[in-house]
Formats: sequence, structure tokens, C-alpha cells
Amino acid sequence: MFSPRTLRNLRKELRQSALAKIGIVVVVVVVLVAIFAPLLAPHNPTNQTLDDSQLPPLGFSKTTTETSSEIVNGSVEVVNETVTVSAKPKYPLGTDALGRDMLSRVIYGARTSLLVGLFGTVIAATVGVAVGLVAGYYGGKVDDALMRSADIMLAFPSLVLAVALVGLFGRAVVRLPDPLVQAGIAPNMPETFALPGTVIIVVGLVNWVWFARVARGEALSINGEEYVKAARSVGADDGFIIRKHVLPNSVTPILVLATIQIAAIILLESALSFLGFSGTSLSWGFDIAQGRDYLSSSWWISTVPGLAIVLTVIGINLVGDWLRDALDPGIEGEGGGV
Amino acid sequence: MADELLRVRDLSTRFFTEEGQINAVESVDFDVRDGEVFGIVGESGSGKSVTALSVIDLVESPGRITSGEVWYRNPDLADEVRDDDPEAVDGDYVDVRQVPENVRRALRGPSFATIFQDPMSSLNPSITVGEQIAEAVEVQRRARSNPRSTRSRTQGFGLTDMLASTVLPGHNYVSDESKERAIELLEQVGIPDPADRADEYPHQFSGGMLQRAMIAQALAGEPDLLIADEPTTALDVTIQAQILDLLRDLQEETGMSIVMITHNLGVIARMCDRVGVMYAGEIVERGELEDVFDHPVHPYTQGLLGSIPDLDDPAPRLQPIEGNVPDLIDSEMDDRCYFADRCPKAMEECLSHPPEFDVETGEPRDEKTAAGEHGVRCVLAQQEFDPSRALPEDYFESDARRTSEGARDAAAEDEEVSADD
Amino acid sequence: MSMGRFLLKRSVQGVFVVWGVVTAVFALRYVTPGNPITFVAPLDAGQELREQIARELGLNRPFYVQYFDYLVSLLQGDMGYSYIQGIEASKLIFARLPATVELAVAASVVAVVLSIPLGVVSATRRHEPADYAATSFSLVGISTPNFWLGIMLVLVLSVQFGLFPTSRRGIGLAPAIGMLVTQFDFSGLVNWLAHITLPAITLGTYFTALITRLTRSGMLDELGKPYVRASRAKGLPETLVRYKHALRNTLIPVITVLGLQLGTLIGGAVITEAVFAWPGLGTLLIDAINARDWPLIQGSLIVIGTGFVLINIFVDALYAYINPQVVH
Repeated sequence: MFSPRTLRNLRKELRQSALAKIGIVVVVVVVLVAIFAPLLAPHNPTNQTLDDSQLPPLGFSKTTTETSSEIVNGSVEVVNETVTVSAKPKYPLGTDALGRDMLSRVIYGARTSLLVGLFGTVIAATVGVAVGLVAGYYGGKVDDALMRSADIMLAFPSLVLAVALVGLFGRAVVRLPDPLVQAGIAPNMPETFALPGTVIIVVGLVNWVWFARVARGEALSINGEEYVKAARSVGADDGFIIRKHVLPNSVTPILVLATIQIAAIILLESALSFLGFSGTSLSWGFDIAQGRDYLSSSWWISTVPGLAIVLTVIGINLVGDWLRDALDPGIEGEGGGV
Repeated sequence: MADELLRVRDLSTRFFTEEGQINAVESVDFDVRDGEVFGIVGESGSGKSVTALSVIDLVESPGRITSGEVWYRNPDLADEVRDDDPEAVDGDYVDVRQVPENVRRALRGPSFATIFQDPMSSLNPSITVGEQIAEAVEVQRRARSNPRSTRSRTQGFGLTDMLASTVLPGHNYVSDESKERAIELLEQVGIPDPADRADEYPHQFSGGMLQRAMIAQALAGEPDLLIADEPTTALDVTIQAQILDLLRDLQEETGMSIVMITHNLGVIARMCDRVGVMYAGEIVERGELEDVFDHPVHPYTQGLLGSIPDLDDPAPRLQPIEGNVPDLIDSEMDDRCYFADRCPKAMEECLSHPPEFDVETGEPRDEKTAAGEHGVRCVLAQQEFDPSRALPEDYFESDARRTSEGARDAAAEDEEVSADD
Repeated sequence: MSMGRFLLKRSVQGVFVVWGVVTAVFALRYVTPGNPITFVAPLDAGQELREQIARELGLNRPFYVQYFDYLVSLLQGDMGYSYIQGIEASKLIFARLPATVELAVAASVVAVVLSIPLGVVSATRRHEPADYAATSFSLVGISTPNFWLGIMLVLVLSVQFGLFPTSRRGIGLAPAIGMLVTQFDFSGLVNWLAHITLPAITLGTYFTALITRLTRSGMLDELGKPYVRASRAKGLPETLVRYKHALRNTLIPVITVLGLQLGTLIGGAVITEAVFAWPGLGTLLIDAINARDWPLIQGSLIVIGTGFVLINIFVDALYAYINPQVVH
């Protein structure tokens, strides 16, 4: 897929950039966590232990005031008692309002984020590259029509469009059996994993325009090259030219864009989950929304999953910077966050 | 010799890159006299442009001028500087390397002006040509009214102007007089309808017209010295001749000196009074144009002259110089004549670095004993070529093979690349 | 091509995009599952009542009649009545619009004022502490979901230190200025500032980080270009070289990317409104979607899309103004 020169640039850039190394380490860790979630999670992320609700993370404690009334010498007295709740080693990152383990939820949330990011990007790239290549390759009216429809797409902010589409089409979920649990290695974990299907399709469909722009630009520039003219003059059909000449040349910029888009889609997914437009409850954005109601008593419920998002997205962005610096595809920081 | 405007001594500029230290300019000496055109000629990568940038102190990071003196004759400046930096003054001469940076900067424009190779990229694409020339006029006008103050040159360009000019086309720095002067300058360099063209942007100009505009901009400060760095390389042949004629005319009009930097021997032959030939960061031969071109001593100069067609005496074949300019990485520069590996007359003597010889006397050159103009950094000034002491043809190849493991690895990697790409 | 013609051409294109937006939004109702009547009618409504409701809402006519009707009404500023509240949708929407505009403008101002100097400082003091601080900030800034940032700001500044109100808009800017002018009373303005500070930071941080990043890399590019060296060679002071010459050319690509990212600003406003219970278009739209209040959904989407097209034309004009190669 890459020429030796490209690989050498990648290696050289990696040697020189500590940030690129950090980015790769973070991404690899997050990917491993997502894959082996059932083995790594100390608890079933959906198990509720109401006795252990709102426990702080290790190293923290919280004080609450409990009001009780007792009968002292025949009269009722209201007693305000300050209770210190300390962390339990069972729950290193604390628990949420329903007593679910935050660490396990963060570990499982990585799955949702990465799968949505990956599948969403694949959909966006497939649609976008197809449209872009056709528009750039044929030019003229085809190009005009496709690009005007892209303009209409762009007139809707991707979050607004995603909210509207998920809200209106429903929050469908695909339940996938978890192979690790099926194999009996992780007995107490959820048997299936809920993939938010509508969200994946929608985040893919609202982000295709970025890919279309890049692919179109590449197709336009390659179109003028002599070897494409030559291929056409000997009667090669369009599909063949696009597959053999135009597409391979677009790989580098599309790869860089895809990296940035994974980060952007992870942010978009978290925003949709936060607003309640998701369908799965095992999502970082969903947990942040949960924690809002307990902000004054249990700050960690919102804080911990947010940190997980920031860390993951930083890692992916660092990898994106590394690819961009090494491959120099000449695209600006497109994509977009939430 | 009081007729020297500029005396450059032992000037060295190095670039400190990740690949290592690069000796782009090494211990260069030359003089520029009043009203003359001094040519610096060499292949690309020989360090000629960096030499020019070093004189005007515009070497950019990771490059740095590591040693050298640039003596510039300017009695007024000498009087000004004498009290603060007595070391930097010698009679009417001032060593611009020793004066504070703001003084040195203030010399750009009124003392040293520069025109660059590619006029299209050397002008700001989003500001009109007239405005850019007027800026050059304005900054000199302000400097004249208050020469010691750097602040006066930015006055009238406060924070608000700064913010405004990033958004609005900036007309808030230059005065109307400067704009008028800019139009006069455009007329002087032969641009028709100068008043209209002043309001156009660089992309609306042709290459030749733009280079004229660049020259107009350089004339704005009425400089003593004009450094022309490959001024015609990016232009069509017919336009090249016009630009060279223009420079000649302007020089006669104003009496300024010109340093002409080029790889084009034709330009040197047409324009220059004296010439220095650069190779691997050094001036390997210098002197009057006739001496150097008609009686070259250095095999490199001979090779350069042999590689251009001579219309009067068409030789059956041009003689290209084999090989490439070394890449000047300090760690790979041995203590030898840098040209020896490409030199058809390399001898055992060439394995130690030659000093500059006076061609007339054949002795190592010294300011006091120098008899003639013509100097050369080659042992052939002292002795005849002796075939019995010649180095075997593959001497440097085998030498290179013996030396560094690392270099071989790098070469292997390169081969892999070129094979697959 | 003159500036006027350039703007005219962009405006004509804009009209077509808006028409496309309207059509797409209208079509949305026909491709999404679920009959709007289900949401409007009482749960125990019989067939007859449902048909009556459909007739009242005009939903029984062929779709092209409805589409044409909708276009004509829209041109007269009529977006229909909200199914739920029974009020004109346009009234509801335009009552909410100022809050959103205020928020977006405040965030943009924060972003532009902070980011451009930050990017310039970062580029001109490369590899110094200021540069490392700016690049770290921009990396974290573009990687942080703004709703979470908002919650964290509330957690620290409102819940812990009580510096700002946790949510809602308080008094709007226009009434606040009114108070100041008529009664010379600053309290309205203070109230407005207190309420808008956290939402503006929440929405503005991503853009501050993004523009800082773009300005830095653009400025580094520009400072390495021959015209910068030529400007120095002609004696221009460094201030002018940087701010009059290099920064101006840096802003050309920055504006391009900003134009592309405006959608993110509006999308970000929607979610920021949700975090701070800010009574703007975003919260209106989310409520409308949850209730399948079609006139309101369509109206808000059209207003958002049209707003986006208008800002884009403005950005294009700015771009053409700053980059003479577009117009000349």
C-alpha cells in the first residue's frame, strides 16, 4: 500500500517526534482495552449495587450531611450528622448513582467510541470517496450536481443533522454476541454488546462531504496527468482508470483525513449520547450526562468518562499529526469537533 | 585602498541541522569597489547566495554566521559608531558584524539593497506593488529623519493599525509622498503607465515587469551596494538581457556598486568587472574578469568555462565536470582540497587543504605581499601538474568505501528507495 | 470581476442552496418513520378524530401540494403552527434566535481575540515555553468535547466557587443595554455577562484551539517565504514584516478553514445550549424533534441552514477582500 519512501518518512518522523510516539501508545492502549474489555473490566458494567452507589475514586473521599431525627428525653431532635464516605478498592474509579463500577463502564465505553468511530468513518469514506471520485473524474454537470448537493449537506451542521436524523429515525441498536464471553473466559460480563446502529449510519452519512472534497480534488488533479490521458486514449474504461490510477493516488490524503475523522466522529458520538440520541447506555457521553445530576455530590461520574474521551481523541489527533507531517497530503485541518 | 566599498574577510556561515553541521560559507574573502560589478559565480549549492545573505545579515535559522568581518566604508556611520564601539571602526570603515543588531538592520535599504531570484515570490501577493515600493521609501524616509531610533520607523503603525491592516488592505503606514516616489521609481525602471500599475497586485505583473519593480524597490533607499542574487534566472532569455541592461544603466546613473550572484557565466562575462568563483563554500579563484576567464588556474574554473559553448571556437564536445558539489556536512569534509574528488589533475598535494595563492608570485597570498589581483586556492598556482604524483582515478571512491559504515547503510537505503519508487 | 459581481454571484448560489435546504427539510418528513398524527392526536383517538386532525393540519393533501403550499407560505414568513404549542412556529423560532446568535457571536469574539495573537506568538517564539504552552493548549482544546468542558467549568467555577450561574440566560444583551442607556444601570449588563461567560468559553474553546493551530502553522509557512526575507532586506521593521505582511497572508487559509468549520460552531451552539439550558434554537430543535413537532423542526432547520449560508457568503466576501487574487 505504501512505497518504501513513504514508510521511511513515517519512520523518520516517528523517530523525531515524541508526540507521535505518545499518540501511538495511547491509541494502541485504547484499542486493546476495547478489544479485551470483558477481561479487563473488574465488574459487569451494567450491574447495579445500590449499597455502593456514588462511591468516590481511590484517593478521594466525600462528606455528606445526613439528617436524622431521634427521640431524646421524650422530644424529637433533628440531628445533622456529617458522614464521610471513603473509596473502596473494589471500585478504583468510584461508582455512579446506581452503584455501577466507573472503571468497567469506561473500559466498555471505549468499545462504543472506537466502533462507532471506525464504522462511521468507513461509511463516510466509502460514500464520500465514491461521490468525490465520480464528480472529479467526470467533471461538468455531474460534478456540479454532486457538489451542489454537498453544499446543501454542508449547510446543516453535522451535529444538528445527526440529532435530527437519529431523533427522527429512531435509536436502533444491533446486539452483537461478545466472543470472549461466549467462549466462557469472562463469565460475569454482558453476553451481548449493543452497537448503536442508527448512530453509526448517521455519523457516517453526515461526514461524507469531507471525503468527497478531498477525493474530488485528487481526481481533478490526476485527471490532467498524461498517463490518465494515455490510458483513456487506448480505450481503458472509466471504472478501470478510476480503480487503477485515480484511487491509489488518493490513498494518502484520504488516510490522513480518515484519522482526523475518527477523532471527530468519536466526539460526535459522545455528543449524541450526551443528548440522549444514542440507544446504548455504555457510552462515555451517556455517562457524562448521567453525572450532571450529581455534580455537586459526586463530581467523578461526569469527570472520569470525559477524561477518557479527551485522552483518546488526543491520541488519535497526535497520530493524525504524525501521518500528516510524514505524508504531507496538503489538506488543512478539516473534520470538526463538537 | 580607499576605493573599496566593502571588504569581506574570513566570513563563515554554518547551518546547524539535524543531519549535522553544514559549512555553507567557509572563510570567504572578497572586496567590492566603488561603482564596480563584482560577480560571484558557482554551481547551485556552492554557497554563493548564503554569502550574499551573510553580508546583509539575513541568514535564517538554523544558519548562523560563525566568524568574519564585513568592513563597510561609510564615514558618517563610522563617526556615529566610533564612541560606542571603537573596535568596530577602522578609519572610514565600520565592521558591520561588530555593531549592534539594530544598527546593522538600519543599513538594509539605504546602504545595502537586495534583489532576489524569483520576483513573484519575493513580493507579497496580497499587497499592491506600489504599496510595497512605497513602504521601502517610507521606511528610509523615517530612518533619515531620525537615524538612531528604531522606533521612528514603526511610528504610525500602532496596535490598531496592526490589527486593522491584517483585515483591511493596509494603506496606513505609507505617506502620500512615498507613494508618489514609488511611482517615480517605477517609471525610472522602465515600467509603462507607472501610476496605474502601482495599484496592481504582483500576480497581475509579468515576470520581467516584476523584476523591474523589485529593482525599483531596491533603489528606494538609494543604496551604496546592490546585491543581485540570481536576478535573471527565473526570466525568459530576452527579458534577461533587458534586466541586465537596466542594472547597468542604473549603476552608471547612481554610481552604486553591484554584487552579482549567478550560476550563469554569460551574465558574469557581460556584467562584471571582477569575479570570484565559489566551490563548496569557498572562493576558489578570484580576480579581474579577464584574468580569471582568460587564464583560469583552478581546474574547477577551467571546467566551468569548458562546460559552456564557445561561439567563436566551437569545440567538438562540451566538457562537463564529472560528479556533484559535495553536500558540505562538516563531519564528512576531510582536510583536503574539496574539489580533489572531481579534479582531473588531483595530486598527492591536494590531500591537504590548499591556502589561497597569488597567481603572479605563486606564493600563499597575504594582504601585504599580494602582488596582483588574481588569487586561487589551488596548488597548481605554485607547481605544474605532475602526472607521477597524480591520484589514481578511483582513489576517492575506494576511500569513501573504506570510511564510514553509516554512510554505506544510508546509501543502501537510498538504493532500495530508488529501485522501488 | 468586481467585488459587487462576486457577491452577487455568491448570493445567487446561496439562494439555490437555501432552496435545496428547504426541499431537503421538507422531504425529511416523508422519509422518516412514524406518522406525525400519532404524536399529535390523543392516545385513544379513533379513526375519525385522526382524519379530522390530518385535515386540519393539511396532511391529507398530496405531498406536492403541501410542498408548494409550504414554499409559498415560507416566502411570506409563515412556517405554520407548532403542533404542540399551537403558536406560530416562526414566532417561537425568532424569539429564540437572539439567544443563539448572542452565544455564537460571543464565542467567536473570544476565539478570534485569543487565538490569533496566541498563534502568532507561538510561531514567532518557536520552541520557547510560550510556544509549548500554546501548542499544548490547542491540542487539548481540539480534543475536548465542549459539553464536557462546559460541565467541568460549571463543576469548578459554579459549584465549587460559586463564581457564575450554572445555567440559563438571564437578561438578554439588548434589554441589558437598554437598562444601561435608559436608567444608567449596569446590573443588567453584569447579569448578562455572568450568564454568558461560561457558555461562551465552552463554545469558543474548540475554535480558539483550532485557529491557534492554523495561525501557528500558517505563520510558520509564511515567515519562511521569500517575500518575508525580501521585506526584511528592504529595511522594514520586524513588526511590519510580521503583522502587515506575514499575518495577512496567514489569515487567508485560516479564513477558508473557518468557513468550512462554521457548521461546527452552530452544532456546538446546539449542545452548549443543552448544557446550560440556554433558551436558544438548539434546545428548541431538540425538544421539537423529541415531540415530532414538524413545523417547528422544519422551521428551525431552515433558519439554521439559511443562517449558515449567509455567514458563508460573509466569509467568502471577507476572503475575497483579504485575498486580491480572488477578485482581480
